[in-house]
Amino acid sequence: MRDLCAAAIDAATGAGAEYADARVVLKRTQLVATKNGRVERLGDSESEGIGVRVLVAGAWGFACDRRLSADGARDAALRACAFARAAPGNHSRALTPINPQTGSHRSAFEQDPFEVPLGDKVDLCLRADEALAGPDVVVRQTMVRAQREHKLLLTSEGTEVEQELVECGGGVDCAAARDGVFQLRSYPSAHVGSSCQSGWEYVVGLDLVGEAPRVTEQAAALLQADPCPSAITTVVLDADQVALQVHESVGHPTELDRVYGTEASYAGTSFLKPHDLGSLRYGSELMNITADATTRGGLGSFAFDDEGVPAARTAVVEDGRLTGFLTSRETAARLGSGHGGSMRADGWNRMPLVRMTNLHLEPGEGTLDDLLGDVDDGVYMETNRSWSIDDKRLNFQFGTQVAWEIKGGKLGKMLRDATYTGITPVFWGSLDAVAGRESWRLYGLTNCGKGQPGQSAHVSHGAAPARFRNVQIGVKT
Amino acid sequence: MNAREVAHAALAAAEGEAEAVAHVERSGLARFASSEVHQPTLIDNAVVTLRVVRGSRTGVATTNKVDGDGLAELARRAADAAETAPADETFPGLALPAEPPQVGGADEETAGLGPDDQARLAAAAIDAAGDVPAFGFFTSGVTELAVASSTGILVGQEMTDATALVVAADEERSGYAEQTAWRAGNVDPASVAREAAAKAERTAGSAEIEPGAYGAVLEPYALAELIEYFAHDSFGALGLLEERSYLSGRLGEQIFDEKISIADDSLDPRGLPKSFDFEGTPKQRVALVEDGIARGVVWDRTTAAQAGNGVQSTGHAPPLESRDWGPLPYALSIAAGEAESVDELAGLVGDGIYITRLHYLGVVHPHQGIITGMTRDGTFRIRDGEIAEPLVNLRFTVAVPELLGEVHGLTRGVALVNSQNFYGERYPYGVLAPALASARFRITGVGSKPGI
Repeated sequence: MRDLCAAAIDAATGAGAEYADARVVLKRTQLVATKNGRVERLGDSESEGIGVRVLVAGAWGFACDRRLSADGARDAALRACAFARAAPGNHSRALTPINPQTGSHRSAFEQDPFEVPLGDKVDLCLRADEALAGPDVVVRQTMVRAQREHKLLLTSEGTEVEQELVECGGGVDCAAARDGVFQLRSYPSAHVGSSCQSGWEYVVGLDLVGEAPRVTEQAAALLQADPCPSAITTVVLDADQVALQVHESVGHPTELDRVYGTEASYAGTSFLKPHDLGSLRYGSELMNITADATTRGGLGSFAFDDEGVPAARTAVVEDGRLTGFLTSRETAARLGSGHGGSMRADGWNRMPLVRMTNLHLEPGEGTLDDLLGDVDDGVYMETNRSWSIDDKRLNFQFGTQVAWEIKGGKLGKMLRDATYTGITPVFWGSLDAVAGRESWRLYGLTNCGKGQPGQSAHVSHGAAPARFRNVQIGVKT
Repeated sequence: MNAREVAHAALAAAEGEAEAVAHVERSGLARFASSEVHQPTLIDNAVVTLRVVRGSRTGVATTNKVDGDGLAELARRAADAAETAPADETFPGLALPAEPPQVGGADEETAGLGPDDQARLAAAAIDAAGDVPAFGFFTSGVTELAVASSTGILVGQEMTDATALVVAADEERSGYAEQTAWRAGNVDPASVAREAAAKAERTAGSAEIEPGAYGAVLEPYALAELIEYFAHDSFGALGLLEERSYLSGRLGEQIFDEKISIADDSLDPRGLPKSFDFEGTPKQRVALVEDGIARGVVWDRTTAAQAGNGVQSTGHAPPLESRDWGPLPYALSIAAGEAESVDELAGLVGDGIYITRLHYLGVVHPHQGIITGMTRDGTFRIRDGEIAEPLVNLRFTVAVPELLGEVHGLTRGVALVNSQNFYGERYPYGVLAPALASARFRITGVGSKPGI
């Protein structure tokens, strides 16, 4: 692998590149999924190749080759240089300087998920599937997954870093339907469960079989529940929904490439401007957001990002004020602040982009009960069901799978079809409580989309239940 | 190796009953922002997925190592998976050979475009946007798909596609346009950029409006995306079987205005034609809605077997890694109307809003067909039957059946709207859509002004 990367760097610099990096990536994934008692997917996938990124006269070029051979490495380098040379525009790019890095890193785990027999994974899923059975249930789904990514990065500046990242996860979903009402419940999170940079012990700890009956019971109960009304009221979100709120309304808008407009044609831009750094009031003083590529178990954890920048923990919002962006070496140089450290690529055949690492809402104090106890009249919402946010990440509407009314500080009757909507800084400005460390959980999602061609990133968010005042719930018409 | 050779070799590496699906991609995408290319990506890959069958047990493995050793390892992993899997009495077996229809969809000139061409065509868009900064891309690629199976299937198809997409935008204004075709010669990046820039120039000074139900004109970009999201739950067999679909219990009923007819038609040369699906089953045209009446959904072999009522696959099996969603319509086609232009549609609406495109859609209630999202890059008021002042981006929450329940008209012309976002392996698909005028489009909030 090292020789291939070196050959690519040599070919690129020999062809006129003032900067080049080469990444060899070997990725293996395994997935077992069941639906309604039958194994729906039992797959084992691997992919390998080399991606070469170059700067030629200030213009980027990227090409890749699945062949892990000297010819493949050189061909990719030369094609990347040719593409860069042909790229239109008045290119003038600088990279914020870093010292050349060397090192290796392997994520921590107790039990290698690829050493767990496939049969055991199938058995776990089928047992969880069976435990989801119940009246009115029309769909029972379970899933467990594992991934190993081994990558080596060399740069023309002398960086040489090798990493192996192992992750796994799982989840269950149950859909119930009756008389035209269709309801869904999931555990531990919606949208393909939750994952962690960990060994199989994480999946075991999820206790999918033990949690399944509660999931089914709530899905069926939702069929009898009243729809969530439309009102302006106090909303308490569970940690899972807070994690999604952080992802969509803090993570994406603080990606500096979006601030500079380079995602305008697809994912969108940001309501933030470079000059907002240090001054913009993002939310209440209880809002503290940290980007942390060193979080144990985080899907966005690494020792070095895909530019070779060492992992770091940085404040993005402190006491409600914007204090940091997620940056690449290029965007950090343009801003004149930061050092990069957020660049990741979806495999060997995609160019690195500014991505969230692990973005957390730092915990406050107390418990969920404490948060509820200070609400005379409101709604508690749990587990994301739908999400939509505008291209500047200002106007959002999220729906949750289940909600309960809050009356006199206690949970009341269950509500279905709950949604809430808001404007990002106004919503975060209404934050008046975050539960404490004991309620803080790490959620790992694997479907964060960005870029053209599209890339999916794996990202974690730590969050605790949080309370927001004067929120529009339901649909305003 | 081409895709047929890869599929054949993978099948040969397997013992016993098996199916190999090979996917080969050579593509280039010149992505630009602020009128300069910043993410140019060239991809060259070959991926093969092998499904091994042991009785009613199946196992799947995928690799891009397509040499002898790689394929032998692939066969071993797929066999291990199959031998681990429990018996599945609902497994319908592998497809039997059937002659696929002859379709177009491959253009030698498009396949021959290289990095210099892709950069040149991106530059054509950038230049034509004039004073308005351009954000977008030009891409072209050639994709080969082949299926080989122990039942005797050996089919292959080469597909080409090209797309030019431009958001012309500055701090105060933004406009959007795109063109997609399987012949790059039918994509004019300069024309796309001019359309986007002209739209952007009309969006400065945008105003807010009160939430409520408005008459609306939706350009093909907006209508295509909305119907595609609706189709995800409602026009596939799995959604029907799981009662997620709006069509559940409504087949044969009038569900939309009689002006609305929707089909899935991979054979239509105006689209991105396909000959067979990911099981090697020939593609069929499927009527989904005819004159407003719900007619059917698309099927693959698995869902057809689950239905157990004699229904057959319509040739809509997705890639194995996407089968959680079941068969999906990859070639939606919304029938045209009689209106000559969007201006004529605005005249039919009289008072309402005009929507160029949508952003970040989310399905709120699949069974009711309720979808939320934002408008973007060209939203205007319609007054006295004319497209009038610009509006800010608007949040909408619409029930698609309500939107399509009272349709004033559709344009005679249709556009092919690209639907793939180029995640994973390239598989060109899109929606053929006219512009549409509806009596009701529900606005539920206001967002930011146009512009980046």
